Amino acid sequence: MDLVNSQFRPIIWDRNNTFNKFNEGAQILRWLSPLEPYNRHQTVRADRFDGGGDWLLEMREFREWRCSEGGTDKAVLFCSGNPGAGKTYLRYVAGFFGRSEYH
Amino acid sequence: MIDSLCDRAGKENIVVAGIYCDFLSEQEQTTTNIMGSILKQLIGRWEIPYYLRNAFHKAEMELDSRGPPLVDLMEMLKTAIASLPRVFICLDALDECLPTHLPRLLDSLRVIVRDSPKTRVFLTGRPHVRENVQRYFPKAVVIPISPNTDHIRDYVEMRLDRDPEPEAMSEDLRAGIMKVILEKASEL
Repeated sequence: MDLVNSQFRPIIWDRNNTFNKFNEGAQILRWLSPLEPYNRHQTVRADRFDGGGDWLLEMREFREWRCSEGGTDKAVLFCSGNPGAGKTYLRYVAGFFGRSEYH
Repeated sequence: MIDSLCDRAGKENIVVAGIYCDFLSEQEQTTTNIMGSILKQLIGRWEIPYYLRNAFHKAEMELDSRGPPLVDLMEMLKTAIASLPRVFICLDALDECLPTHLPRLLDSLRVIVRDSPKTRVFLTGRPHVRENVQRYFPKAVVIPISPNTDHIRDYVEMRLDRDPEPEAMSEDLRAGIMKVILEKASEL
């Protein structure tokens, strides 16, 4: 599912309610935060080069973090590297596996 | 590959929220705005939950045009996460977050992970923010990232093959481009 287009979807689409409901939903989302983080993801996705970050998904540390059950011990994974090392791309990869499973 | 990540992968429902800490908009990147944005993404797929609607109407009644304060957002996040199967929060380029915001941001993440243990947090940043991360998450898994020259070579070749003016390219130029890029990449 595309996060950009799914930001708010009125569930009920009837004549009396739709526009109010839609506008209010959008207003509430804006009220929660002015940040719109999606544009950057789109750029990274468009520039995506197949295979460039798959090694991360295969790493034992990543798999343990990804699959661990609850608790705070392994809740956080920190990829550390200098600019240009591919961190943003990895973040995309990490987000991608989550989204693709969601459908 | 994706299914191999986890035995239960195919059966799981996962919600991912991500923020890129872009230095261009660093003034807006307060912890409150970031937490609000995470919440927005977590609920974004469905209809607005009643507790958010109520909080919004209350603020409207009080003619308060500001967004919810951090303490309220944290409670809302806790409620939102509780209603979701699994939540991944990704924060990219932590080093581009203002140093004055970073401790509060990491502390808020610590509270989320403590109160909602099914949350997983994925962070990226330059090596110098590692200390900050470990101050709040002493057991964080740290993976050092360095450029992989094989991937860079493949990528540059792909881009050179797509050159809209191939007649302007020669073998020497191609080899020169590759050499310089790989040298620069190894310095990262």
